[in-house]
This record gives sequence, C-alpha cells and structure tokens, in this order.
Amino acid sequence: MSASDFEERRGEAWSELDRMIEGVEKRRPGTDAGQLPRRFREACNDLALARHRMYDGHLVGRLNELVIRGYKLLYRARRKGAESFVRFVAVDFPAKVRAEWRLFWLCSALFWLPFLAMMALVARDIDWAQAVLRPEGMASMEQMYGGEEEQIAHLREVHGSNFMMFAFYIQNNVGIDFQIFAGGILACLGTIFFLIFNGVHIGAAAGYVNEACNPQSFWTFVAGHSSFELLGMVVAGMAGMKLGVGVLRPGRMSRAKSVGLAARDALPLIYGAGGMTALAAVVEGFWSARMLPADVKYGFGICMWLLHLLYFLVLGRGKRAA
Amino acid sequence: MEATGARLDTLQAIELAEGVEVRLRIAGPVQRGVALGLDLLFQWGFLIVVVVVLSIAGVFTGSLVAFGVMMLVWFFLSWWYAVFLEASKWGATFGKKIVGLRVVQRSGSPITFSQAVLRNFLRWADAAPYLGAGIGGLPTFGFGLGTILATRRFQRLGDLAAGTVVVYDKIPPEPVVAPPPAMEALRPTLALRPEEVKAVVAFRERSGLWSEGRRREIADHARDLTGAEGAAGVSRLMSMAHWLQERR
Repeated sequence: MSASDFEERRGEAWSELDRMIEGVEKRRPGTDAGQLPRRFREACNDLALARHRMYDGHLVGRLNELVIRGYKLLYRARRKGAESFVRFVAVDFPAKVRAEWRLFWLCSALFWLPFLAMMALVARDIDWAQAVLRPEGMASMEQMYGGEEEQIAHLREVHGSNFMMFAFYIQNNVGIDFQIFAGGILACLGTIFFLIFNGVHIGAAAGYVNEACNPQSFWTFVAGHSSFELLGMVVAGMAGMKLGVGVLRPGRMSRAKSVGLAARDALPLIYGAGGMTALAAVVEGFWSARMLPADVKYGFGICMWLLHLLYFLVLGRGKRAA
Repeated sequence: MEATGARLDTLQAIELAEGVEVRLRIAGPVQRGVALGLDLLFQWGFLIVVVVVLSIAGVFTGSLVAFGVMMLVWFFLSWWYAVFLEASKWGATFGKKIVGLRVVQRSGSPITFSQAVLRNFLRWADAAPYLGAGIGGLPTFGFGLGTILATRRFQRLGDLAAGTVVVYDKIPPEPVVAPPPAMEALRPTLALRPEEVKAVVAFRERSGLWSEGRRREIADHARDLTGAEGAAGVSRLMSMAHWLQERR
C-alpha cells in the first residue's frame, strides 16, 4: 500500500482524532470525546505501521504529533487530595525522618558543633563575635536585645510589624531551607556549607548577646520558635545530604538514575522542612516578641521541644510508609 | 529502537505503553535561555507592579503591612511561580509558553507536582556560580549550562533530579516544496538498511528546500550508492528514492 493510499484510507480518522483532542485541549470536549482512547490507540497503530513501511516524513511527523498530543491528555497525573496530606503529616514525614536517623545526627552535628564552638569562643574572647558578625551585625543585635527591658517587644508595638516580620521570616528562612536542599546536589557541598555557616553565625550572635547585651530578652524571644526552626533547618539539611549522597554514591545504578531516586526520597523531607519553618515564622512573628513573663515563654519553648520529640519518635510507627 | 549513539539529530525516541514509539524534539540551551530571560522579566515586572500598588495601598493599611505583603509576593514569585505553572495543564511557565516549550517527564507524559518542585527548587544550584557578593551575587547559570551541554537530553541539574526534559510543545510542520519530479524509478545497487532507506527518501522530500549546489553537495556523500557525482548523482539518488517510495 502506498503512502497516499494509506492516508486516503485512514486520513478521516486522524482528522477526527485531531478534532477531539483539540476540543478537550480547549476544555470544550464534544459529545464523542468518550471515543478518544480508542481513536488514540488506532492512531498509535497507524504510526507504528507508517514507520514500519517507511512512509514519508510528513505523514509520520503528522501521526507522531497527533500521538504525543493524545498521550499528554490521556496520561495526566491526578492531583492528590486532603487525605494524603493528613497521611503525610501523621505518618510519612516522621517515619521518613526516623528512617534517615544517621543523616539526622550528621546534620545536627554540622549545625550544633560550630554553634557551641562559636559560643565558647566568644565567651573567651569577644573579638570572635566581631570577626563573624561585623560591626553592623553587632549593632543590630544590640538594638534588638541590648536594653534592660525587652527591647524587641517594644520594637514590635508598631502597627503591622508582627505581620511584616512573619512575612520576612517566611521569605528569608524558608528560602534558606530550600537553598540548603538545592545545595545538596553539588555533591553535598552546598548543604554542608550552609549548615556550618548558620551554626557559626547563630553561635556568634548568641555568644555576643550573652556577653554584651541582655541575654534574657534574647533567650525568651528565641525559646518559642527555636524547635520548629532549628529542627526544620536540620531536616532541610537531611534532604540536601540525601540528594548529595545520590550523586556521590550511585552504587550499581547510573548516576542520573541514582540522583533521580535520591531526589524522590528527599521530597518528603523538604516538604516537611518547609512546613516546619513556615510554622516557625508564625510563632516567631506573632508569639515570640509578646511581652509575657519569662517563665511562660521558656515553658512554651520547652513544651514545643518535647512535642517535637514526641512527634518524631512516636508518630507513624507500626504502619509502614507506602 | 535505533542506536542512539550515532544519531546526528536530538530527537528522543520514546516507547509508549501502547507499544508505539514517538519522537520528542528536545529544546536546546538557546531556546531555554530565552524562556528563562522572559520569565525573569515577568517576575521582575510583576514585582514592580506589586510594589507600586502596595506603596499606594500602604497609605491606608500601614507601610509595614504593605512591606510584609511584598515579602510574601517575592517569596512566592521566586520559589513557587514556575512550580505551579509547570505542574498545571500548560506544563510551561509564561516564558516557555511564549517560546513554545513544555516540560515533560522523560517518558513524554506531563510532569507531576513533585517533579515541578524538584526541578524548580534546584534551579538555585543550576544558577551557580554566583558572581560578586557570594550567594547573593549575580547568577551565571554556569552549572546549569554545563550539565545541559554535557547530557544527551539537554537536562540541567534540576531536570536530572526530577527526571524531566524540556521539549518543543508543537513542532511547526516543515514547509513543503515540491521536489523536482523523478525521471525514472531506479533500483538501488546495494541492499539498504532501514535508516538508509529513510535518509534517501528524506533527501527527495526535502530537496525542494535546497539550492542545486547544496543538493549536489549532499548527494556526493552517497557516491558509493549512486556511483556518480554532481548533477548525475543527484538525479540517480532521486530516481532511487522514487523507486523506494513507489515500490510498494
């Protein structure tokens, strides 16, 4: 059968399929849209035949395009509902963090060791704080935590400042989490850099406040959101390390395949980290700077740390994550 | 499936569940760069409009609230703009839509939300190294360009992790110019492999687009088959293509 005979015999079916696909693409499916899968499979058949018989490029190209368009319509992924969200929060996420406990301790160490080292160094010699924070950083720490009274609480009395700070924390802190994750694909180096950098910077700031400002106003401020934010950052670090390990140790897979699998594994971690840091922004924006007795704030902070401990240790046990 | 190692073009053969192969035309770094530039223009333009509107609204709501809203808009533009557009029915950001590109899975089907998250969050790593002020500096997209050029499917780091490729959404049909009519049908002197048959037929189909000199130049590559050079080679190749097409 020559190409023109073939086209003559089947051409009408193709233009009909073309019309159906266009209808669905423009969200105005015709009454015969139910026939689309059958017509699509016929067109697949025709394409295979046309290729086998080596018909000319235009005919094959037209069928190729038709099949691709049909395929895109028929194989669209379905959105998941609220049920999978609840399952993620209650089961999958804590189970995933537990499953990656080695990375959890590694990333925790990458943050906490520089943090503690920096605090000790600053306590010994305050020049270390100047080396890390630079004078501008020191000035802003003093502005927030310098006075005898809870200065940061006074700064927040202006109308709208709580909301503004909440938005700022979302933009800045969640963005940093995502960067920690993305840096992992550079063979873990980006993730390691950010975790250590944050440990050094936050450690220097805390050490400086301890020495030169009013420590209570600082520690009461950070107590409430510290668990969300620091654990969120560590989890983001785990996601990044997961990705980087996929690059560094492909095992018996090709490197591209290994990275793809590692990325899929890292997804729940980065979703969880983003969620935790967003919650931290809510607490930090609307709770942490309120003028309340120090004991209430420390108590709240300790409760939150205990809740996190409970969440990651207990939830989702017994049910194997799908 | 043909051996992809020796192919000259960038078409990706993909076998569907229906058992048939389709060819995806992968987009190269230039088109993707243009799309990226357009997206950055959109993002900055939108942000500027938002800033103007909010600074007017700020008179009524208080400037700090307006500033906060601006921060949130900035956050969503920089991290989620491309995610939601690419996970939508379009499968493309505004920039890609204009250039005519689309993000698909390596299997050719539309991408999932998770894949959109992965490939777009990792853009930050693709944008490295940053010029000037550390990580706050000017992105050069050197890593992304490097991996695009180093991979067969033109994938940047984000694409590799998410398992996605960027393809031409709709391939414009090639202009048809009637080839010079063949004088006779000539049986090829050698046994041809399927790819070679395709090449000979494609030569005839597309020869209408070329000048006479170009036709001769290309036909000369097939002198082992035609046994002639120059104009004679062209006409013999045409005749063979005619024979191959009309044989059945």
